[in-house]
Amino acid sequence: MATPNQVAWQRPTIGSHAGHRARAWLRANAALLLVSPTLIFLSCFLVVPYVNMLVMSFRNPSTTSVFAPGYTIGNYTKALTDPFYLGVLAKTIAFGAVTTLVCMLIGYPVAYHLARTRARFKGLLYVCILSPLLVGVVVRCYGWIILLANNGLINNTVKQMGLAPHGLPLMYNAFGVGVGLVHVFLPFMILPILSAIQSIDPALEEAARSLGASRIGTILRVVIPLSLPGIQAGSILVFVLTISAYVIPVLLGALKFKIMATLVIQLLIDAFLWPFGAALAFILSASGAAVVYLFIRVTGPLMKGLA
Amino acid sequence: MAMPADKLRARVTRTMFLGFVIAAYCFLLLPLVIVVLASFNAGELLTFPPQGFSLRWYSHFFNSAPFITSLYFSLRLSAVAMVVSTLLGTAAALYVVRFAGKWRDVLRLLIVAPLLLPEVLSAVALLFFFYSIGLRKTVGALVVGHVLITLPFVFLAVSSVLYNFDVSLEEAARSLGANKFRTFRRITLPIIKPGVISGGLLAFIVSFDLFAVSLLLKGIGVATLPIQLFDYVTWDFDPTAAAVSTVSIAMTLIMVLLIEKLVGLRSLRF
Amino acid sequence: MTTLTISGLTKRYGELVAVDDLSLEIAEGELVSLLGPSGCGKTTTLRSIAGFVEPDAGAILFDGVDVTTLAPERRDIGMVFQNYALFPHMTVRKNLGFGLEMRRIGKQQMAERIAKVLDIVQLTGLEDRYPRQLSGGQQQRVALARGLVIEPRVLLLDEPLANLDAKLREEMRFFIRSLQKGVGITTVYVTHDQAEAMVISDRIVVMFDGRVRQVGSATEIYLHPASREVADFIGLSNFIEGRIKERTEEGRYTVETPLGDVWCRSALALPVGDPATVVVRPESIKLTRSPPNNSELNCIAGKVRDRVYLGNIAGYRVVCADGSVIQVQEQPWHVSAVGDEVHCVFESDLAWIICE
Repeated sequence: MATPNQVAWQRPTIGSHAGHRARAWLRANAALLLVSPTLIFLSCFLVVPYVNMLVMSFRNPSTTSVFAPGYTIGNYTKALTDPFYLGVLAKTIAFGAVTTLVCMLIGYPVAYHLARTRARFKGLLYVCILSPLLVGVVVRCYGWIILLANNGLINNTVKQMGLAPHGLPLMYNAFGVGVGLVHVFLPFMILPILSAIQSIDPALEEAARSLGASRIGTILRVVIPLSLPGIQAGSILVFVLTISAYVIPVLLGALKFKIMATLVIQLLIDAFLWPFGAALAFILSASGAAVVYLFIRVTGPLMKGLA
Repeated sequence: MAMPADKLRARVTRTMFLGFVIAAYCFLLLPLVIVVLASFNAGELLTFPPQGFSLRWYSHFFNSAPFITSLYFSLRLSAVAMVVSTLLGTAAALYVVRFAGKWRDVLRLLIVAPLLLPEVLSAVALLFFFYSIGLRKTVGALVVGHVLITLPFVFLAVSSVLYNFDVSLEEAARSLGANKFRTFRRITLPIIKPGVISGGLLAFIVSFDLFAVSLLLKGIGVATLPIQLFDYVTWDFDPTAAAVSTVSIAMTLIMVLLIEKLVGLRSLRF
Repeated sequence: MTTLTISGLTKRYGELVAVDDLSLEIAEGELVSLLGPSGCGKTTTLRSIAGFVEPDAGAILFDGVDVTTLAPERRDIGMVFQNYALFPHMTVRKNLGFGLEMRRIGKQQMAERIAKVLDIVQLTGLEDRYPRQLSGGQQQRVALARGLVIEPRVLLLDEPLANLDAKLREEMRFFIRSLQKGVGITTVYVTHDQAEAMVISDRIVVMFDGRVRQVGSATEIYLHPASREVADFIGLSNFIEGRIKERTEEGRYTVETPLGDVWCRSALALPVGDPATVVVRPESIKLTRSPPNNSELNCIAGKVRDRVYLGNIAGYRVVCADGSVIQVQEQPWHVSAVGDEVHCVFESDLAWIICE
């Protein structure tokens, strides 16, 4: 039997090293087959269309076709100097901010409760939060229409009981749209916060209480600061979703209610002003991105010390 | 004997907190409950108290040609989108979790991008794109749009199962004599199957309910169920829409319960 | 019956050298433990033998045949993982049958071998259970059975008892030991628990920082540690520094220390005048009131500073003239009170010189 001294050897010489490298390259490349269909799909149908849309926003508008030959920045200058469009943009952003705030205020307690409760129906509560998400926005809006319309459930009850003979204006206005937005996007605030609170060791809260903090004090000074990443993620998500919401404002706000997304779709489908519509869409996205960036810059320092 | 002051205060605060949380859950479920109740209402308009129990709106629904055509169209469309995005998404997840190395984060971001970008924006971009290549208003365009939005869901569901996958199981299989292919087939695949199926179900539900994408990419005379419902709700006010909605809710609930059975909803991270 | 040879094994992870030029010969049927603290390279070594780690240099030989480039599934090994790695979607029977399937064993023989191995690990009757329906101890035995049923050339165990509670761990040590002896399979066992290594192994390989510090039986390592590190890792030690004064006979020395002359032993030939550290285990020392009559015994005077009673032993800390502290373990009924003037008495055979 060979002794160790006779047998010991270093890694083989160059020849088989190249063979080894070739085999490794082949192995890695074979795996690429797995992801290449997806990459091709995304390049064709995500990257290219967005770039194309950007190009479209610089085209000349036309009254006879979707666009005319030639390029211009006129679409952008028109959108950014016309008070009407600026007003719609401001309104959209304001809606985004208010909806985000309301979702934060309602969503945090719900998330905290679900994270810390030991009730046996915890799974059921999770289903309650998740199912509305998956049900479909048209169905959810229809539910609100039944409730909020002038001859809907709430108004009929209120009229019958004589509380307000002419009914309450709950729909086709900012209130109705706001309720719909909060309802649809609330789960998107709850889930990230829930995840963040769940990753906080309950022992931290117990430590705070043992040192003399009240329950509310503990939440304000321990839990909320530690769950800031979840609050930040949820806020960004809700804000971005709200400013690009289409169905909810249309169904609950009708045609008089102008918000950016509905305006863009209107310009595209009804008026066929594609270049201008594209420019508006990008302005909306850029504004949204700017607000999100500012938000991250402001809340970033508050999260020092957290992973 | 009266309760000491701060115990009482704590009790009151706790009750208020629970009350608030319960109210929030009611808020989340209220429209859905209302819709389901309305669908069984015997009367024309929804009044309180309800006018009796009836299934007439369901028979309206099933006898309405536009609704039934759109229902079948949606079912077929979502089934196709589900299959395509499940195949693409599972393969992509396998690559990103196992083989991607330093490209992992970039690829992950790219594949999940359609979720992060507003649906309306992506729909508009696709509209322009298909117009420019002359494939506007075809079913193919519609499928592409649906796959684009649902692919990230499958990817996230499968990669979450893969992240939690215990690699020592594969090592054990190899130590027992199985080569890489047999290990994948006999050990890895069966264990991630619930994740793949959940991803597929999720893709189906999401695709079924898509609105903006369907609206912009559909052809003339073709409608998915959400679009048909949208039209109906905008112009008509009878509870047939409620019946349609209730069927939609029921479908969603079944899918959600199936997913809960397979992988547990808590494992899905968006 | 397979011999296992590791030759010059080296593995680096970036700047860190996990295993540094490790060479080891394991005889057929021997159970060798790789013992050391976390990060010492023992698991990397085991995984290199298994084939899950590709070494940067060195070779692994089974029966003199180089298997270093072979994939794990071709090495004919049996491996038991720390977390058991039982296939959750298969019953116990299917888990055990998996390796046999890969070897294309016929159904009849498969059933026989599974029945036999279940009998050996005392789990007959649980064939159709799923892993999640078994207790931790039962899962561990299924993992063991799965590695044995294929009758591999080499059995590799990666801290298999780490997840069991203390009592079960002790029982399983003896169980694995008798099992291995009964089957006679060449085995490599990784652990950080020195008591476990001492109970189970034919030989122990003590590792620190990727290098082997000492190879030997439990007795050799305990009574004759090769270095301060090894002595410190295994049990408690007293270290007395000094200088070699004279060599009295073969293997016996007198070391001059601040506490007096100490008679001790060493296996090496040491030059007079060299610095030396003497290690004495606490249980080798007896405490007496007066110095012993026998001049062949070592004797160090001191005062009792602490006493602890642990049920099976009484532990003392004795302060000596120069301030150094000697740890002593006595029978539990021995009573020396704090403050007593005592003599620490120990035989020269139990004082060992460490050379670094």
